Amino acid sequence: MTEYRAGGTDLMERRASGRSTGPIVDLRDRGLRSIETTEKGGFRIGAMVTVDTLATDPRLRAAYPALALTAGALATPQIRRAATLGGVLLQRTRCRYYRNEHYECLKTGGEGCPARGNPGERAVVLDLGPCVAPHPSSVAMALLTYDAVAEIEERPARPVAGLYGDGARDHLLDASDLLTAVTLPPPVDGERAGYGRATGRASAEWPLAEAVAHLTVRDGVIVRAGVAVGGVAAVPLRLPGVEAALTGGAPSEGLFARAARLDWSPAFPETAYKIPMTATLIGDVLAQAL
Amino acid sequence: MRLTFNGGPREHDPGPDDTAADVIRTVFGATGTKVACGAGVCGACTILVDGEPKASCLLPAAHLDGAEVTTVEGVGGDHPVQRAFVECDALQCGFCTPGFVTEAVAFHDRWRKDREGTPSREEVADALTGHLCRCGAYENILTAVRQACSGVFDDREPVPARVEAPAKVTGTAEYTVDVTLPGMLHGVIVRSRLPHARVTVELPEGSVRLLDGDVVRYAGQPIAAVAAETPAQAGELAGRVTVAYEPLPSVVDPGEARRAGAPVIFPDAAAQKKAPSSAEGAGFPGRWRGNVRSGYASAWRGRTARRRLDAAEERNAPGYFAATFTTAGQSHTALEPHASVADWRADGLTLYTSTQALPHLKAAAAKRWNPPKVEVVAHHVGGGFGAKLGLGADAVAAVELSRKLGRPVRVAMSRAEELTDTGYRPGTRSELRMLGTPAGGLAAIELDVSGHGGVSTGSMVATLGLLMYGRGPRHFRDRDVVGNAPPASPFRGPGGPPFAWAVEQGVDEIAHRLGADPLRLRRTWDGNRRRRALYEIAGELPLWRDRPTTPQTGRHRRGVGAAAANWIYTADLDTKVELTVRDGRIVARTATQDIGTGVRTVIRNTVREVFPDADIVVEVGHSHAPHGPVAGGSRSTASVGPAARDAARKLAAHLGGKPVGEAEGVTVLGERPKDRRGSAVPVSMDHLRIGRGLAGAVHITEVEVDTLLGHTRVTRVWGGIAAGAIYNRAAARNQCEGGIVQGIGYALYEERLTDPRTGVVLSANLEDYRLPGVKDTPEMTIHFHEDGWDHVPGGGIGLGEVCTISVAASVGNAIFNATGFRPLDLPVRPDRLLEGMPR
Repeated sequence: MTEYRAGGTDLMERRASGRSTGPIVDLRDRGLRSIETTEKGGFRIGAMVTVDTLATDPRLRAAYPALALTAGALATPQIRRAATLGGVLLQRTRCRYYRNEHYECLKTGGEGCPARGNPGERAVVLDLGPCVAPHPSSVAMALLTYDAVAEIEERPARPVAGLYGDGARDHLLDASDLLTAVTLPPPVDGERAGYGRATGRASAEWPLAEAVAHLTVRDGVIVRAGVAVGGVAAVPLRLPGVEAALTGGAPSEGLFARAARLDWSPAFPETAYKIPMTATLIGDVLAQAL
Repeated sequence: MRLTFNGGPREHDPGPDDTAADVIRTVFGATGTKVACGAGVCGACTILVDGEPKASCLLPAAHLDGAEVTTVEGVGGDHPVQRAFVECDALQCGFCTPGFVTEAVAFHDRWRKDREGTPSREEVADALTGHLCRCGAYENILTAVRQACSGVFDDREPVPARVEAPAKVTGTAEYTVDVTLPGMLHGVIVRSRLPHARVTVELPEGSVRLLDGDVVRYAGQPIAAVAAETPAQAGELAGRVTVAYEPLPSVVDPGEARRAGAPVIFPDAAAQKKAPSSAEGAGFPGRWRGNVRSGYASAWRGRTARRRLDAAEERNAPGYFAATFTTAGQSHTALEPHASVADWRADGLTLYTSTQALPHLKAAAAKRWNPPKVEVVAHHVGGGFGAKLGLGADAVAAVELSRKLGRPVRVAMSRAEELTDTGYRPGTRSELRMLGTPAGGLAAIELDVSGHGGVSTGSMVATLGLLMYGRGPRHFRDRDVVGNAPPASPFRGPGGPPFAWAVEQGVDEIAHRLGADPLRLRRTWDGNRRRRALYEIAGELPLWRDRPTTPQTGRHRRGVGAAAANWIYTADLDTKVELTVRDGRIVARTATQDIGTGVRTVIRNTVREVFPDADIVVEVGHSHAPHGPVAGGSRSTASVGPAARDAARKLAAHLGGKPVGEAEGVTVLGERPKDRRGSAVPVSMDHLRIGRGLAGAVHITEVEVDTLLGHTRVTRVWGGIAAGAIYNRAAARNQCEGGIVQGIGYALYEERLTDPRTGVVLSANLEDYRLPGVKDTPEMTIHFHEDGWDHVPGGGIGLGEVCTISVAASVGNAIFNATGFRPLDLPVRPDRLLEGMPR
């Protein structure tokens, strides 16, 4: 199976471990590195734009602070300089079993999920089945809150949310589909954002759970809210219920705490701790966004 | 593709899967760029691409087309960052150094262009996130980068803190993985895919068998090895080794392995004898029952101890504490993997190997293969920590293949192999019962510890209790519970950290229950005068005096904890250091190796005390020199230091006041004088002598706990070390700081994971096996108590082990102080903290 190669930060490791063995189409000379404004006043970001640029480009920081904060907090400076927007949206799972050459699972072309019998504390809280590993893309999570749209070569564009959808695949694109850009709707004046992740170490670590939020407050009332979380499901997860609970309200600690309540039931006892943890993170990022 | 490489034009057509690191190391021959994790986690392979630091192990070589590439060699040698690293001792083994230097150069150059003054510790740490130093030299690295940015090294040569620093910061230091011999083949090891099976092996031409017998007992066990012209071809050839498996019932999890009816891994005495040992030296005798091998109790008034404990439990005595502690296996994962290059010729064997036991390997290779002569070479060793003490599978495979094929053969472990089958500190389960009295001392202690070292035996934890806390009644027993998992091996202070994890938390808990000051309680119980001195000093520290003493309620809580350790003192009394005057310089030689501890510098400093103005060259890392010590059991310093002093005095006597230059060609041999009043054990075992006295350590640790996210940050650590006179202050402090960093890893992050069904090691990369990073490094203060070792020539002993043993326990006690949650299981992951904390 042919695979596209962008920054290589995921693919090269899978090449070395034998997880990826087909031909490679390298995108280095395909361009896709521009950041343009759209007719509607939003931005179109090329798929080969690096994560570091997402985090540091002054236009993007001003327009989509939730995206920039998220991009600036993931992985390490070196990975951020190499990894691309397209690559982080379509990266493969970090599941310990998937990354270990001794195992086959549905994501390697085999069957079933060897991790299901030994999920561990890093697994999902919400079970979409069959895979129990959380989706790794922090950037996808942030893009969900902006109703971003993915452009795919020779195919209709689709919402970034539509790149994901089940627990069996890391994304729903075919191997021959090339994601070329992501477009975002016009930025909203006065939007503020927060991002947070829970990790064991201080940095350079995949999150146990993460959350991102942006708020737009006018005349003391939240007129727009975007909230999404990661590390809890096989897809990046936007929380429309939380957004609805915030919108129209006057921002306060009490409102944030009520909105951040999660009525989830954990798929595994090992990951039950992630529910209050995620609620804490949502409260934290809302407070940051104020 | 065309590129500019370190200033010159290059052309090369890479394959689609070739990484930049591959091409730079093998095609361009620039081996300063190191590959350690192969997954973009550790940063050892960092290069500058058009001025930007990139992890070259993940960077497709094709992406270098048209770029300007700079590696550590291209930085030169006089860059302020390199000068600062050299003078600030910002390295130990040096394997990660080229990556740190390259990243820091980019940071420095950017900083100097845009800003002025000195960057904050935080700013530098942020930039260096993504680099791992397994030795834990982060504090000095941060200092060096900040000093370089401040400009103090712009116009002056550095004073090297250690002899080999210039070679390590320029990438010229040669490690075993950098050795390439003419005609060299590349070998790979074929390993068992099943945890327990009878195997039939068909070997293609050019391969050797490594498995002894026909039963494999763990997934990852070496079966055979093959060699070919390139690593890729060797990989293909390995696929042609056919292994037919007849699966046998297996058990991986120690909890299941100890149950009646579990498959028995070593069914009879003959099989039991083959079980590998994780002990340094002989290990303890024991009796087998199923998969459990129990040692004999080590007791002092053991029955009294148990009677008192039973009675205290019965009456719920205030000073009684009982709990079950567990620890996870800890992988050494030195950044230079196990690697060997064997060159077998008619006139003898030369074995280049990443080892901490050069003299031992020379003897072992001579005994095993009996070649006409053997030399073992290890100029620089990229970390060991106890995992590189024996003839490993890499060395055996390389030698066997070279002997068979008549060409030099290199075998280097992948990171997955390194994390699977090169040993680890065994996991443990400790049943502790203690009874303390506020004034009367430790009334009784019982500790029963099961070691979980896969197929290996030899875990020794409880027995260390004979060395601690006076002479109260005590009962200790060590056991091994074997399972179908890879064997463990010695790891820096074997048994010490899990012992402290249980007992030092026990002491803390009893102090808490009795309302006593934990340091004062220890001083009352502890007869060791060196450690008592440390308690005195620690007790006066503001860090300790200002610790929270009442329960806290906020989200972020601060806590301070104390823990103590001791360790035996060992030396190699057969050590010789030879001094020769050559070209007007003094050349010091001994057959030892430097794994990052700075043994070259100990020798140089000692000789310099006698010859302050002489040009001194230290040559270690080759077995043809006079006998030198293994780097294990903290023995190196107390072995080479006195021998070097003896040699220097002999040379001075020979000179009789004349300048060194007038003794050209003169050679003297220094010996290691005996200790005054003898040793604790009057004979040496394999050159190791146990001396009198115990090294001591006390750690005072401050943590901040986010009680809602379960995150523990270690903010400050004070380490008091009682190991006598210090030979090289900078390197000693560096090593003690590294011991703290490793201890923090053991406490909070590091966890060897083995799949309970298949026996496959899941923590087989540096993303899933989590080492402490630069941002996890606390502010550290190291205090040396230098008295009390007058009976040892030179007045000082080693400290590489004692400095790490009590760290994790001090973190546990600090977490308890902060939260009221007594952590029993290592590592203290966020989920464990959140589940365990009182609500």
